[in-house]
Amino acid sequence: MALEFRLPDIGEGVAEGEVVQWLVKEGDSVREDQPLVEVMTDKATVEIPSPAAGTVKRIHAEPGKVIPVGAVLVEIELAAGAAAPKIASHGGAPAAPAAAKPAPAAAVAASSGGEVPTPYRRPPGQRAAATPFTRRLAREKGLDIEAVPGTGPAGRVTDDDVLRFAASGGRPAAAAPPTAAARAPSAPSPIPASAAPPSAPASGEDEVIPIRGLRKRIYERMALSKSHAAHFSYVDDVDVTELVQVREAAKERARLRGARLTFLPFILKAVVAGFRQFPTLNATVDEAAGAYTVRKSFNFGIAVDTGAGLIVPVVKGVDRRPLVDLALEIERVATDARTGKSRLDDLQGGTFTITNAGNIGGLFATPIINFPEVAILGVHKIQKAPRVVGDRIAVRDVMYLSISIDHRINDGATGARFMNAVKALLEDPKLILAGEI
Amino acid sequence: MAVMTVLQAVNDALHHAMGADDSVVVLGEDIAELGGVFRATDGLLKKYGPERVMNTPLAESGIIGTAIGMALYGMKPVPEIQFLDFIYPAFDQIVSEAAKMRYRSGGQFTCPMTIRTPYGGGIRGGHYHSQSSESYFIHTPGLKVVVPSTPADTKGLLLTSIHDPDPVLFLEPKAIYRSVKGEVPEGDHRVPFGVAATARAGDDAVVLCWGAMVHTALKAAALAAEQGWSVQVLDLRTLVPLDEEAVLEAARRTGRVVILHEAPRTNGFGGELAAVVAERAFEHLRAPILRVTGFDTPFPYALEHIYMPDARRTFQAIERVMTF
Repeated sequence: MALEFRLPDIGEGVAEGEVVQWLVKEGDSVREDQPLVEVMTDKATVEIPSPAAGTVKRIHAEPGKVIPVGAVLVEIELAAGAAAPKIASHGGAPAAPAAAKPAPAAAVAASSGGEVPTPYRRPPGQRAAATPFTRRLAREKGLDIEAVPGTGPAGRVTDDDVLRFAASGGRPAAAAPPTAAARAPSAPSPIPASAAPPSAPASGEDEVIPIRGLRKRIYERMALSKSHAAHFSYVDDVDVTELVQVREAAKERARLRGARLTFLPFILKAVVAGFRQFPTLNATVDEAAGAYTVRKSFNFGIAVDTGAGLIVPVVKGVDRRPLVDLALEIERVATDARTGKSRLDDLQGGTFTITNAGNIGGLFATPIINFPEVAILGVHKIQKAPRVVGDRIAVRDVMYLSISIDHRINDGATGARFMNAVKALLEDPKLILAGEI
Repeated sequence: MAVMTVLQAVNDALHHAMGADDSVVVLGEDIAELGGVFRATDGLLKKYGPERVMNTPLAESGIIGTAIGMALYGMKPVPEIQFLDFIYPAFDQIVSEAAKMRYRSGGQFTCPMTIRTPYGGGIRGGHYHSQSSESYFIHTPGLKVVVPSTPADTKGLLLTSIHDPDPVLFLEPKAIYRSVKGEVPEGDHRVPFGVAATARAGDDAVVLCWGAMVHTALKAAALAAEQGWSVQVLDLRTLVPLDEEAVLEAARRTGRVVILHEAPRTNGFGGELAAVVAERAFEHLRAPILRVTGFDTPFPYALEHIYMPDARRTFQAIERVMTF
C-alpha cells in the first residue's frame, strides 16, 4: 500500500513551501518520524518528518519548486504491517505546533472537503473585496468569491479574476500563478489612472529576480500592513547619557553570565512600563470581527536583518524576564533567525515589534507596523550631541526613538503620551529599576 | 417649428394655455406691465387683460394662498415666485395646504396650481437668487416637481403642469433661460410626467441630472468620449414623479452611476437616487455611486464658480467610476 504524503499545513497561514532539499532519495527505506525533506515556508525552514515507516517510492517535488499546502510531496510504500499513519494523507499537520491564532482561511479550506486548497494569498480573516457586479458574475459561474484570488487595486477581485478562475476550473494556479511576481504583469485592464506605469521590459543586462520564499512573505506582509493600518509616525529624541553609564556598569556583570548587554533590554522594559499606562498600544486588530484585542502578555518581536531578509522573532514574556535574561533571549532568537534555525514558535505570538537600526545609522525612520499589531517602535543610533542642560550646553548621549501607530486604534495623543512615558524612563534609568519591572 | 430660448418657451406655453383655456390665470410680483423680472410673462397682460394677469404685493404666502383659493374654485392659476429663494414665506401654504388638499378632502377637492419659479445658480445672483432647493418640495408627498432642460421640454412640461389636476412646482433653469436655444413644437405640445429623456446615449456609465446641469453633464460626457468612454446623460425632467425604470435600466446596463446636481450635497436628491439604485440595481454596480453636487454651505457669491458643479468636476467623477 502506497501513501501519498502531501505538504502538510504547518500553521500560521502558511499556504505554500519551497522544497530546499531532500534528505532521502527514491528507494530509501524510512522510519516513522525520520526527516524526509527541508521545506522553506514564508516563516521558516522546517524539516518534515515521515508520517510512517516504509520505502520512498517517488519524489514529486524537486528542490527549488514551490508547492501549495496539500500538494503531493512524496509517495511512500508502507512497510508490511506498518501502523496506519497517524495523520490523514492530506492536510494533516504532523509537525506543526498548535497554532496560537485561529486557523487561517487556507487551513480551513484544507481540512474541509479534502481537496487541494486554493493557494490564494488573502490574509486570514480578510474577506474578498469585489464590486456587486463582480460578485454576481461569480455567483453566475457557481464560484465562491472568497475563493477567487484578487489582482485588482488593493487586492480587489476583478471581473477578469472571476473569468480566469472559472476558466481554470476553480484552480487559479495554472492561469494566475500565485506568486506576486508572476501576477503583476497580468493586471487587468483598464488600468486605473493612479496605477504605477508599467516598468520598462528587462534588457539582457538586467536581472529578473522572482519574489518568493521569505522575500515574498515580506512583500505581502508589508503591503498588507500599509494598505490596512492607518500609519502615523511620531519621533522624539531621548537623552540617554545616564542610561549609557548604567549599561556600562552592568555590562561586565552580564558578560559573566554569558550575556552581551545592549541597550535593547532597557528599552524593552521601558516599553512595558509605557504599555502599563497605555495598554491599547500592545494590541492586535481583527478587522473581520471589527474589534481589537488588548494583549496582557508582553511578547515583543525583534526585527532581525538576516542575509535572506527581515525576520521578526518574538521575545516572550518581556515583563517577567530580568534584564540579563532578556539580553540572553534576544541574542538567542536573533541568532536563530540569522542562521535559519528559528522555530515556528519563536516566530509567532508577538504583541508588538521593535526595530533597531541604530547599528547601521540614520537619524530616525517611519517603520511599518507588523500587522495585525497596532504599533511598532524604531530604535536609533546613540550619538554625542550638544544639549541644553540647565542653562548650559553640554555634550550628551542622544538617541532618536520613532514609533508608527495604527491611527484607527490609537490617536496621536495616546502615542505621544506613551512616548513621553518611555522617554522619561530612559532618561532616568533609576526609575526602570525602581518601577515594577 | 420655431427656434426659441427656454424663456421664450415659457412665454409661448403661457400664451398657449391662456388662449386655449379661460380658467388659466397668472399672478405674481411685477408680472403684468413689466412682464416679470425675466420677461417670462411678457405680453400676457395686453392680450388677456388685468383680470387674468395680476400683479401682487411682495407677499409670497399671499400669492400662493390666493392661488390655492382660485384652484379650489375651479381655476387653473399659474403663480410666479420671482426666485425660488423667495418661496419660503409660502412654504406652509404649499406643503400644508396645496400638497394635502386632495388627501384632506378625501378627493373632493384638488389643487390644480402650477407654481413657476426660476431656480439655480450661475448668474452671479448671490445667495438669495441662486439656490436649488428642490429637495424641500420633493420631500412633500402631494407635490409634483418638474425641471426642464430644453426649450421644447419647457413648453411641453409647463403645459402638462398647467393641465395637471394637482399642484406642480415648475422649476425654470434661469442659468440657461437665454443661452440654450432649440426648436419648440407649435400648439398644444405636451411632455408626459415621469418619463426621463436620454440627452446623450452611452453604455459605460450614466450621469443622472436635471435642469441646467444636463448641459454640464453633456460637456463632461464629451470629455469622457475623448478618453474612449461612452457616457449616457439621463435627463430626469420630472423629479416627482421619478422615472425609476429609466434610472434603473441605465444603472443596470452601465453599472456605473454618477449623480449631478447643484443643490448642496447633504439630503440632496442625489442621495435618494443613490438609494434607489443601491436598493434595486445593487448587483449590477461596478463602482461606487458618486455624487457631484454643490457644497453644504450657503450659496456663495464670490465663490460661485467653485460651488457650481462644472464639466471638469463631473468628468473627474466619471473618471473615478470608470477606473475603479
